[in-house]
Amino acid sequence: MNLGTLNARHIGLIALHWSRHAVRGGAGLVYLMIALVFGLTVAHAVIMPVEQLMAMQKRETGRVDPNGVNSVIVSVGRPIAGFVLGIKSIGESSGPDAPPAGPGPANPFGGVTAQAGDVELDAWTSYLLETRPALLSAIFLILVFGMPFAISFLAFNQVTGDIQSHGLRYLLLRTERGNIYFGRFLGTAAFSTAVMAILIATITLYLGLRVRIYPAAALTAWALRGFLALSFLMLPYIAVCSIISASVDSPFLSLVLAKLTIGGVLLFAVLGGLKWEGLRLVKYALPWGWQNHLLHPEPSHWLAAGLACLVYMVVFLALGYIRFETRDL
Amino acid sequence: MTQVVSIQGLSKQFGRVRALDGVSFGVPAHSIFGLLGPNGAGKTTLFSIVANFLKASAGAIEVLGIDTRHISRLRGRLSILPQDAEFQRNVPILDQLVFFRRLAGRTRPQAREEVLQTLDLVGLQSVAKRRVGSLSHGMIKRLGVAQAFLGSPEVILLDEPTAGLDPANARQVRDLVKQLQHSATILVSSHNLVEVQELCDHVAILNHGRLVLAGSVEEITRAHRECQVDLSRALRDGERQRLTAVRGVRSVEPISLPGAGQNHVAQTAGYVVRLDLSAEGLDQDAVTAALLREILDMGITPRRLLEGRSLENQFLEVTGAAEDRAARNGGTDAQGKA
Repeated sequence: MNLGTLNARHIGLIALHWSRHAVRGGAGLVYLMIALVFGLTVAHAVIMPVEQLMAMQKRETGRVDPNGVNSVIVSVGRPIAGFVLGIKSIGESSGPDAPPAGPGPANPFGGVTAQAGDVELDAWTSYLLETRPALLSAIFLILVFGMPFAISFLAFNQVTGDIQSHGLRYLLLRTERGNIYFGRFLGTAAFSTAVMAILIATITLYLGLRVRIYPAAALTAWALRGFLALSFLMLPYIAVCSIISASVDSPFLSLVLAKLTIGGVLLFAVLGGLKWEGLRLVKYALPWGWQNHLLHPEPSHWLAAGLACLVYMVVFLALGYIRFETRDL
Repeated sequence: MTQVVSIQGLSKQFGRVRALDGVSFGVPAHSIFGLLGPNGAGKTTLFSIVANFLKASAGAIEVLGIDTRHISRLRGRLSILPQDAEFQRNVPILDQLVFFRRLAGRTRPQAREEVLQTLDLVGLQSVAKRRVGSLSHGMIKRLGVAQAFLGSPEVILLDEPTAGLDPANARQVRDLVKQLQHSATILVSSHNLVEVQELCDHVAILNHGRLVLAGSVEEITRAHRECQVDLSRALRDGERQRLTAVRGVRSVEPISLPGAGQNHVAQTAGYVVRLDLSAEGLDQDAVTAALLREILDMGITPRRLLEGRSLENQFLEVTGAAEDRAARNGGTDAQGKA
């Protein structure tokens, strides 16, 4: 491993070339389609009932009451948000004895079965549904869960296709392997970020111009935060795909392994956790255990979650780089 | 003579398969060096290790005095036409080559100008904006050659540069290689032995991963005291005996053609004349002159005379292909010569 030979200009050029031609390469187009279809379908599923409610309200009263609509969203969304945040069951979080909303104690990622955890959960849920635009929060929560599966459609083929076709050989005498590896990673991340920006901008514009129940400033600020959270979250997942992509010679195998790794870790943690509590910890092999905290109200939480994403990314990238640097190409 | 490429004890193991086994040779500066060998001999593996695509199991390679394990120090000085490497199919060729030159530090306009000049050399300038996927096989091969020539490298590795090209394009590539000899050292791997003999001044022959012969083409072909003569008609038995009786001639044998079977003697007018210069006062030129006089006296016109052994014959001998072929033909070659 020789990081001293890395060249920022080369990495930038490779990233630019890779992201520019990602759509032409097929994988980029597939990801663009999947990400947009998934994201807009989620948005449609979340927004459509609200639009129906507004239409009904308008029919009955002749006007739309944004506060009333928001109250309904909050009351319906609270148990779902609690469930998605993975801390309480739906029954518990919607019960009449639920503690009042308020800022919870700073307890980043500790055990949350105690009452302090309940308070924290409610504070978190209230933040997402009441302090912030609830519809956007709901969409973000689903995207945070779903986008790691989608990203593998883009990231599986960072180098594996060119290893198989020997296309990398045109580059290997022109730049270092590390520049190719990190350049492709950055190009993939840039493309993913661009797609995320398009998706979130579309949803936000629709909410702002058509639904119009949130102030523009609040909507914009939360959209920006959600965009940053999702873009940041993609980094460790792209990096884990980098390892796989640098290790196998077949793009199809790389895609299958990426899917199995990303989905398998979560599935193993959830199903294994039902049998043996300790297996739940498997989810920390990937950012699954941390990623919701990117939308947490406490800066200590989202900063720690962001840092965790960075650590995962660095570790995965280093492992992939060692493999790529030393293998036959 | 300065050696630009030096290969010492190079070995490469793929699992249980030993693709290269202790290969050592040197490539002189400004030579066109041919790397020959049957399929699976290890030519592409050797090129791939020189370019650091593959890691050697043992041995060392220096190019321009630099260990190729530190390949970054050779950036811009060494280039390669890989055998089976694919370009990005959906990206215009101009974009791909400009990107390569930008990695060499050129600005976009400089890179574009250089690329268009190089594409012009291989006759591809008119298709510069087309996607690689829309080009024919021959065009893609020429594109590969163009990218290897980009930026005036000092050492160029060309793995089967004319494979799949029509004769006109193959000639164009050979001419380009010859032109570049003044500024670069070029290693060429090829199955086309006639092409290699015409193009290269030095060769190395690999067989089953081992080096079986290396040296200048001149040395290899002239080292054998024989010549090849093509005649206007086939020799009759008595005529062959007359030629064999020329002082200094040991034997005259028809050149066997693959697949010609027992009738090949009647179909060819090419002969290998083996010389015996052990007697006092004999030299090759005098014997050749006497031989030609005898042929003319018999009323036969010599159409071509090649001194020494052809690279093809040498290749077949050292790789054992001639024996393999004879065995497959059930010994018909040997019967034909008898």
